[in-house]
Amino acid sequence: MPTSNAQQPNYQLRYILSGHSMSISSLKFSPDGTMLASAAADKRVKIWDASSGDIITTFEGHTEGISDIAWSGDSDCIASASDDKTVRIWSLDAGTTVKILKGHTNFVFCVNYNPRSSLLVSGGFDETVRVWDVARGKSLKVLPAHSDPVTAVAFSHDGTLIVSCAMDGLIRIWDAESGQCLKTLVDDDNPICSHVVFSPNSKFVLASTQDSTIRLWNYHTSRCVKTYTGHTNRTYCISASFSRTGWPYVVGGSEDSKVYIWDLQSRQVMQVLEGHRDAVLAVATHPTRNCIASASMEKDLTIRLWFDEPAANGVS
Amino acid sequence: MNASLLNPFNITYPTAVQTSLPSQASLARFDPSGRFVAAGRGDGSAAIWDLETHAAIRWLEGHVKSITSIDWSQNSRFLLTSSKDWNVIVWDLASDYDPPQRRATIRFDAPVASASFHPRNSQIILVLLSPGDAYLVDLRKKHRGRVELEEVQYASDEEGQMNTHRSAMSVARFDPSGKNVFVGTSLGSILVFNSRTKTMVARHKISGAGRMLGFDFAKSGRRLVTNSSDRILRQFTLPAYPLPNRDREYLEQELEPTHRFNDPINKTAWHAMSFSPDGEWLAGGAADAATHKIYIWDISNDGQFASALDGGREPLIHVHWHPRKAAIASTTNQGNILIWHCPAPERWGAFAGGFEEVDENVEYEEREDEFDIEDESELALRKMKQEEEQVDIETAEDMDAERLGDHARGNGEHEEDYAWADEEAEDDLQVWKMKTMMEDETDLL
Repeated sequence: MPTSNAQQPNYQLRYILSGHSMSISSLKFSPDGTMLASAAADKRVKIWDASSGDIITTFEGHTEGISDIAWSGDSDCIASASDDKTVRIWSLDAGTTVKILKGHTNFVFCVNYNPRSSLLVSGGFDETVRVWDVARGKSLKVLPAHSDPVTAVAFSHDGTLIVSCAMDGLIRIWDAESGQCLKTLVDDDNPICSHVVFSPNSKFVLASTQDSTIRLWNYHTSRCVKTYTGHTNRTYCISASFSRTGWPYVVGGSEDSKVYIWDLQSRQVMQVLEGHRDAVLAVATHPTRNCIASASMEKDLTIRLWFDEPAANGVS
Repeated sequence: MNASLLNPFNITYPTAVQTSLPSQASLARFDPSGRFVAAGRGDGSAAIWDLETHAAIRWLEGHVKSITSIDWSQNSRFLLTSSKDWNVIVWDLASDYDPPQRRATIRFDAPVASASFHPRNSQIILVLLSPGDAYLVDLRKKHRGRVELEEVQYASDEEGQMNTHRSAMSVARFDPSGKNVFVGTSLGSILVFNSRTKTMVARHKISGAGRMLGFDFAKSGRRLVTNSSDRILRQFTLPAYPLPNRDREYLEQELEPTHRFNDPINKTAWHAMSFSPDGEWLAGGAADAATHKIYIWDISNDGQFASALDGGREPLIHVHWHPRKAAIASTTNQGNILIWHCPAPERWGAFAGGFEEVDENVEYEEREDEFDIEDESELALRKMKQEEEQVDIETAEDMDAERLGDHARGNGEHEEDYAWADEEAEDDLQVWKMKTMMEDETDLL
């Protein structure tokens, strides 16, 4: 291994949460860090206590499986994207659906809030990206964004840009206000793009593609500045996430049932979390603590919470 | 963030109406972040519009007569409304209710013509009453009080003062730093008061202007544009003002405008005017009874007339420039708020990765090594090398930094004024978010 002064993480399994009865597709920590939300093909959204791993509540209402969930900024609401062609907004206070967003003409695959939580953006198998007014539950914009199912959409930290990616292998950057396409990133081999997210400062996008690679793109120069490899991703839409509570890492799931942790700068695999018994599709990093949540498919169906246990052993 | 990807040459002045907000408004102002518009109505209510969703998100019902002015605090948390019902209300938009909680209601003994926040502290409020008196109201525990701003009379006038009555104040505004209050009078003078000591530090006689009707400052605070009853907008470069001293000396100076803006043909009067955020453009809202016209002048180009925006048949009554970009909110006498923007030309090239649009044909010159076949391992190695470079995914040069810059302290001599203004300003500085309130949906399930 080349010399690098990257800090060696030492994540250890602390909790195993079970409850879902079909593949788990998405995991998200609440912005205030107290809760973890999970969604699965069993049509349910479950809310867990992030520090104890206890189940808090289960939301049922979708008539088909759920592919993605997103928290509102105040941790009061969750939006879920489902194969029943709708996005539902759930209120934790009311314990029920408060809005149903109808408009997509096929499965809804991804959803995210803007920073003010006044807008939602969603993408789906109808190849469109839609922007919604949260307060009124109305569609504001329909962007004919891609020529294949849209696999991920997200807002930049200031809400002025939207990034989307699709199975057509393109990553597009949009002006949130006008809906204008500002930039398209494409790799030479055009692999199916399964997940994309802005960096915390929104100067880069982190994109996972089904050639078993995660790339960090500088979208201004259209240049790939970092490549992370070592994991397996050829079939499913697997998400990746920045870990920024301690040393900066990139965390991603893998079809070999493991979770990979890379050093952001050196691109080295720093730790591999083993334990799941099926492909890990969903990972999430805690907003304030050194904690990772991961969830797996059919043969396993557990959510695992991993905590960084400093110094004890494992320091190189 | 999107600014860096948009064409910078587009950012000049708005040219087309993007949307119309049916608000029954008589005036409309953007908040300092530019995300919201506050609309004041004739029936005494006010509404906050969200420009992202083009929907009204808050209804402020507190006044019983028409609203005369609206102002936002520096972080958009507080909203100030003044009304003909003799009241001034401060609303706290961080409250989780609709209508939002009131933070203060200030009562006067006459209709209020305008009210504005101190730019650095929302607890210091400048109020102008219709009869022509201006007050500085301080809501802070330590400084609580209400002080009338009084013009120092001409020394030579003293004998004849019995038959010349005091000039009434017709405009009152803080300058962008908040150090001074500028007051326009019915006799065409500009009076400058120190906000802290409330003493008059300067008087400018503007010859020929008549009654002062409105002020607007360029963001830097060095330039002021006035609207007056002679239907001319004048731009002045302001001198440095003396610090208040014990002898109550003040600067007595006539100011010559650097530019005069008017409509030489129709001789229209102006309802309002507003500088662009960079101070390089001035928008004037024409008081024409049959049309909706906004005149744009290019200040950086010697004040040349640039364009007249035509907003249709509903006459204009108010105009305000967006605090950050080329956008204007203009209000019609039917109560609609027109949001003007710069329509971005479609960029089809952006849809294709690695594709660049050119305006003209370019003869392509092939590079010497363009089609050389390079050793793949060498390429991979070079790529690896490139990726060694450190990336910064955390720091963003954002609006916060910008905003600090706005208030950067120029020199030490006004230190005392700033220190005074910053006392008890904490609750407005905090980062806050307007809660998204879900509309009830009864036909849900």
